[in-house]
Amino acid sequence: MAKSRTVILFWQLAILAAVLVIWQWGFEWSKALLPRAYVPKILDPYFVAKPSLIWQSFLRLGCFSDTAGFTTCIKGNDNNLWLATLVTLKNTWWGFLFGSASGIAAGLILGRSDFLARVFGPYIVALNSIPRIALVPLVILIFGLGDLSKIATAWLVVFFVVFFNTFEGTRAVDRDQIAAARLLGASEFTVLRTVVIPSALAWVFASLLPAVSFALIGVIVGEFIGAERGLGKLIIEAEARANASEMMVAIFVMMFVGILLAVAVRSLQSYLLRWQPQFEPSA
Amino acid sequence: MMAAPNPGLARAREDDDRAAARTRIAVQGLAKRFNTSGREFVAVDDVSFEVKQGEFVALLGPSGCGKSTILNMVAGLLPRSGGRILIDEDTIETGTVNPRVGYVFQRDTLFPWRTVEQNIGYGLEIAGLPKAERARRVASAVEKAGLTGFAQSFPRMLSGGMRQRVALMRTLILEPEILLMDEPFGALDTHTKLEMHKTLLEIWERERQTVLFVTHDLGEALTLASRIILLSARPGRLKEDFDVAIPRPRDPVAVRETAEFGRLYSHIWHSLGEEFRRTRAD
Repeated sequence: MAKSRTVILFWQLAILAAVLVIWQWGFEWSKALLPRAYVPKILDPYFVAKPSLIWQSFLRLGCFSDTAGFTTCIKGNDNNLWLATLVTLKNTWWGFLFGSASGIAAGLILGRSDFLARVFGPYIVALNSIPRIALVPLVILIFGLGDLSKIATAWLVVFFVVFFNTFEGTRAVDRDQIAAARLLGASEFTVLRTVVIPSALAWVFASLLPAVSFALIGVIVGEFIGAERGLGKLIIEAEARANASEMMVAIFVMMFVGILLAVAVRSLQSYLLRWQPQFEPSA
Repeated sequence: MMAAPNPGLARAREDDDRAAARTRIAVQGLAKRFNTSGREFVAVDDVSFEVKQGEFVALLGPSGCGKSTILNMVAGLLPRSGGRILIDEDTIETGTVNPRVGYVFQRDTLFPWRTVEQNIGYGLEIAGLPKAERARRVASAVEKAGLTGFAQSFPRMLSGGMRQRVALMRTLILEPEILLMDEPFGALDTHTKLEMHKTLLEIWERERQTVLFVTHDLGEALTLASRIILLSARPGRLKEDFDVAIPRPRDPVAVRETAEFGRLYSHIWHSLGEEFRRTRAD
């Protein structure tokens, strides 16, 4: 028999609580109880901070605990937590949007044309085998330290993932469905619009979920290497000051941003693919 | 639904129609050769026949005799290797899809991302018919196909028989005068198949489209068709041509008890049997 939802929820909360407790007090307890050689270094707050410190850093970076008041604090720091999150989110979104739009367009065009697929095939394979991260310094050199270079990095990462899936999806369209559409009077363009695209959509979406995470990775890496603002910049600054709790704040915020984007893509997916059995609206 | 006319009258009308009717489909010296790894094999060899206005012709033959290949060439789905195909005295360009004919596939070719009514309305939608007019005609087609209550369902929620009804309506809603059907009920169980025969007979006896119907099921051919063209085993050649003089309106169960059904069944069965043996001997 399947465990009930409450039992599952109980264990999930229990694990969370255990992790937080060990994180918070584990290092002190083990220092007090264990011989020095056995104290786990991994729990040292110097490296991993601890929940209470992270919370304090969150309040400080988020301008909640500033004596000058929220607004003054926000205005005083041009890479405060909120602005940094906004910048990273915005660049991720545009990189994801441009990357997936161009990936879908290129995938559809090459998927529908044997000639173009054969001409461009080797180039795409060659470009795809370059580790994208290796291009980031080049991108920053070209587009500067601003937002544009981050969007370009995210685009680079997203484009190929979406392109390959769209291409395969376009190739996998049922030939009889295309024939049926033609026999019902559809032109080449109508076939593309009403048969090829909806049919390839399942494949496209299979790539959009990883693509949105990749876009975030691309932006963060871009911010590591050279940026004026953003969550990645926040981490690099905190590292320079050996401030683990501030890094952790940025990491947790990224986690929430990642979840937010994934949920957005997934709900769009389950709406557009509602004709598929696995996306049946659950009761 | 129209009242059942006198069967004798219906039959006389059918005969009259045929004598006066013009030729809708003319197949002349049709051939199809395939090249597989350098070896040429002949699928269809010098096939000629005509289908007149309002005829229901079954193209019957053993599996692999090229009957679907012939149908696909008539629809323009497949390029031909030789011969001519004329529809209403216009030559069909080889390998260009001909949207003047209606075509029903054996395989399920419904668009799974469209609901039942969106599937049925597909042809009207791309023809640019106003929305209200489209909705009216789709609703009437849904009702005619016995799909009331399923208009908003997606194909995956339907049984095989219901899906094939949707496919039939998707084609019929465009009111094609010529209907090509490629073993449309081949994948259905016996009971569902008989129900589909009933639906198709009702529609055809009312609207009298010109039908070319491919099947390997002799009972199905005799139930539906006014004429049966029997093809030989590979390569497909014309073997025999029968009139099926069973009166209409026909009932798919009662038709099996008529003398004409029994007589043609045993005659064609033997003729088909020879072809099946030849297939196996190859």
